[in-house]
Amino acid sequence: MQNSQQTARVGLFFILGVALIWVTFETLSGGKVFKDQGYHIVAGFTSLKELKTGDEVRMAGVKIGEVEKTRLAGRRAEALLRISPDVKIKADATATIVMAGLIGTNYIGIDLGSEAAADLRDGAEIKTAVTPDLNSVMSQIGELGKKIEGALGNLGGALSGDGKSPGIIQKVDQLVTENRENLAQTTGNLRSITDKMNRGEGTLGKLINDPVLYTDLQSALSEIRGGANEAKTFIANAQAILDEVKRGQGAIGALVYDQKAADDLKASIANFRTVSDNLAKGKGTLGQLLNDDTLIRDTRAIMRKADRALDGLDDAGPLTAVGVVANGLF
Amino acid sequence: MRTLTRVLEGIGSTLQLLVQSLSHVPTLPRQWGRFIEQCYLIGYTTLPIVAILSFFIGSVLALQSGYSMENFGAKQFIGSLVGLSIARELGPVMCAILLAGRVGSAIAAELASMKVYQEIDALETMNIPPARILVLPRLAAVLVMMPVLAIIANLVGWFGGAIVAKYTDFIAIDPPAYFAALRRFMEFKDVLNGLIKAEVFGFAVVLVSCNIGLNTRGGPREIGASVTRAVVTSLILILVLDYFVTKALL
Amino acid sequence: MADSRCSATRNPFTHTETPAVSVAIEDLSKSFGKLEVLKHVSFQVEPGEIFVLMGPSGSGKSVLLKHIVGLELPSGGRVTVDGRDAAAAETREQIRLALVFQAGALFNSMTVYNNLALYLREHRVADEAGIREKVMRALQILSLEAAAEKYPSELSGGMKKRVAIARALVMEPQLMLYDEPTSELDPVMAATISEIIATLKDQYHVTTIVVSHDRDLALNIADRVGILMGGQLVFLGTRDELRASADPRVVDFLNPKIDLANPRFKQLET
Ligand SMILES: Nc1ncnc2c1ncn2[C@@H]1O[C@H](COP(=O)(O)OP(=O)(O)OP(=O)(O)O)[C@@H](O)[C@H]1O
Ligand SMILES: [Mg+2]
Repeated sequence: MQNSQQTARVGLFFILGVALIWVTFETLSGGKVFKDQGYHIVAGFTSLKELKTGDEVRMAGVKIGEVEKTRLAGRRAEALLRISPDVKIKADATATIVMAGLIGTNYIGIDLGSEAAADLRDGAEIKTAVTPDLNSVMSQIGELGKKIEGALGNLGGALSGDGKSPGIIQKVDQLVTENRENLAQTTGNLRSITDKMNRGEGTLGKLINDPVLYTDLQSALSEIRGGANEAKTFIANAQAILDEVKRGQGAIGALVYDQKAADDLKASIANFRTVSDNLAKGKGTLGQLLNDDTLIRDTRAIMRKADRALDGLDDAGPLTAVGVVANGLF
Repeated sequence: MRTLTRVLEGIGSTLQLLVQSLSHVPTLPRQWGRFIEQCYLIGYTTLPIVAILSFFIGSVLALQSGYSMENFGAKQFIGSLVGLSIARELGPVMCAILLAGRVGSAIAAELASMKVYQEIDALETMNIPPARILVLPRLAAVLVMMPVLAIIANLVGWFGGAIVAKYTDFIAIDPPAYFAALRRFMEFKDVLNGLIKAEVFGFAVVLVSCNIGLNTRGGPREIGASVTRAVVTSLILILVLDYFVTKALL
Repeated sequence: MADSRCSATRNPFTHTETPAVSVAIEDLSKSFGKLEVLKHVSFQVEPGEIFVLMGPSGSGKSVLLKHIVGLELPSGGRVTVDGRDAAAAETREQIRLALVFQAGALFNSMTVYNNLALYLREHRVADEAGIREKVMRALQILSLEAAAEKYPSELSGGMKKRVAIARALVMEPQLMLYDEPTSELDPVMAATISEIIATLKDQYHVTTIVVSHDRDLALNIADRVGILMGGQLVFLGTRDELRASADPRVVDFLNPKIDLANPRFKQLET
């Protein structure tokens, strides 16, 4: 009868609905379809920050699992990670919470660990490391700014002199006037060197004009950017040096305040001229570097090695404060 | 003042009808046939219009958000926006509005004409409460069918958004990226939220339409008036309830 | 609620084991807004009696019947069925009463068969086979077998009325109320209805109230007759008393002269 057909349709419709709800549930609440697949490891942190259930766990940038649960355990926060069964995590691998962007999507990054170490078992705890979050980064940058300001103030004083003795600028002025001819010649040489470079002659020229090498360099540089917090120390040192300069101590102090040193400088600038002459003619090691193609291959290989080495650091997250900012922003 | 008393009267008689219907719940197994028939009318026959409308709502949502989000480079969040708005708000509300237009009006018309042509009176003299055989099966049916309609509305709406996101020149976001964004900010809780809303709305629409139909007085002309009143009341109720349910579920 | 009705010895159309009920109308008044439809009407209907209520159109007969089944609430006075308030919902649960509506009031979404079977199914009076038997019997009595699977919209006016009567019969009521049962029927069918009413009374002692303009019916089967005019009872007595009545209103109502020379509508104008 029509009635049984109606019942069948309603039944089918209802089952369809239940199935769809179930599928949605499974997809959105972290794919519990795979619930029994994989093993668990525990990662303890002082704070999970923005981490939430369902966030990814990545190793070397590859998704290997996800955060199944977050919980408070005593004085720390724990994330229960479910790792797919075919992935082994070394016992000395380190987990960090990584911010993948400024808008607060997070994942847990696990580094590869060492080849020799044992594998983590189900339920084991993984080592963790704390990465500074955006707030602490910002405050560090603020401090950095203050220090730079102070250092620049000192530098300014040293450069312009304090009224009695001439400042660095005046001294340099004098130096340049006295050595004008030599400098002009040097500049000429430099120019011919850079011309060559521009035309892609010699290793350095290649270095500058070869796009492959360039991108390698670029990525190396971006990692180097990560080391920028060393600038802090550098600036502190610079300050000490400047103090010494003022007191007439050390090399630059002598240069600026000591007539004999100035004479030495004159001589060394003359020497530099002969050196640059030689360079331009392709004499000596550096000269070869500038004029000879053979070295380029070696450089390229070195660059690749450096790149790979830096890659390995990736999953531990950016190493430094500035690095975090750089990663967050770009 | 007159309107106020009428509103209060309406609320009172609706609640009374609800209590009456609930008191007949034990008879529900015996009314299986009626229940299935109502499921068919409320769920199955309403599906096409729900699917069509939610598809286009999803599409338009993707189009509009794509257009405005492009300005500040947040295009990749279209999936999240479409997904969440449909799951939490538009899906359930749209289903309920369609239900009011399609089912609420039909219920009001049917019960009003039964009232006007004394069929309801006949039932009462037979000691067969209308709440039992006319209202209860419909309420049960809408409770079962509403989540089904709502989840289909959600999914169809999401897919509508995905298609537009892919094939619109200035958006051009592939479905995987779209659904990744959709999943990123959405939990099942959000969908569940929407389903609960749909359930509440659907129940309210059917109950109110039944009540208005049963309280029709006068001649055939009043049937039309009752239908209009049922639909208008349902729509207002949906929006009012929406606010409160949303608040309660936040 | 079905238990008392499931006894095996029950006859098809009434319950011999449950006594017939009385109806008492005490000082009943009803107004719709400003319109006073019933004005202090009082009378009694004895158990097992056939009471015929007559009166001009619009005099309030249908309204009065609705009070007896509790579909209208009195503005004044009260109506009791077997001592119970007719307006109370419990009364309908304890006393089976059936009203044949003037307009039929059939369930338009159901076939004739299901119209009749609904009551029996909802109250689980019998199993499906028993229900079938009862329904077919009632349809047979009213010559409706052919219409069993038709919908009310496919029936003629007289057929609808017969279905309404059949639907009341299958309920096997203790109190049977007919609102103009013969008004749309041919003379033979009208006579059949009169016979059914009389039979139910004689054999099963059903209390019956019939609203009708049918003089044959009233003068042949009524135990007592009441005449309602303008919301007031102007006559109450046996059918013999009715025949003998000298009240001009009654005489004119029962034997109106068709006076073409001086038509009633022209009299009203002057
Ligand atoms: N629900 C109602 N609302 C307002 N007025 C009503 C209502 N029901 C009946 N009336 C009025 O009450 C009066 C009596 O109506 P009723 O139906 O009882 O007449 P009746 O005696 O049955 O007439 P007929 O023989 O034509 O059926 C009429 O004037 C009618 O207009
Ligand atoms: Mg009438």
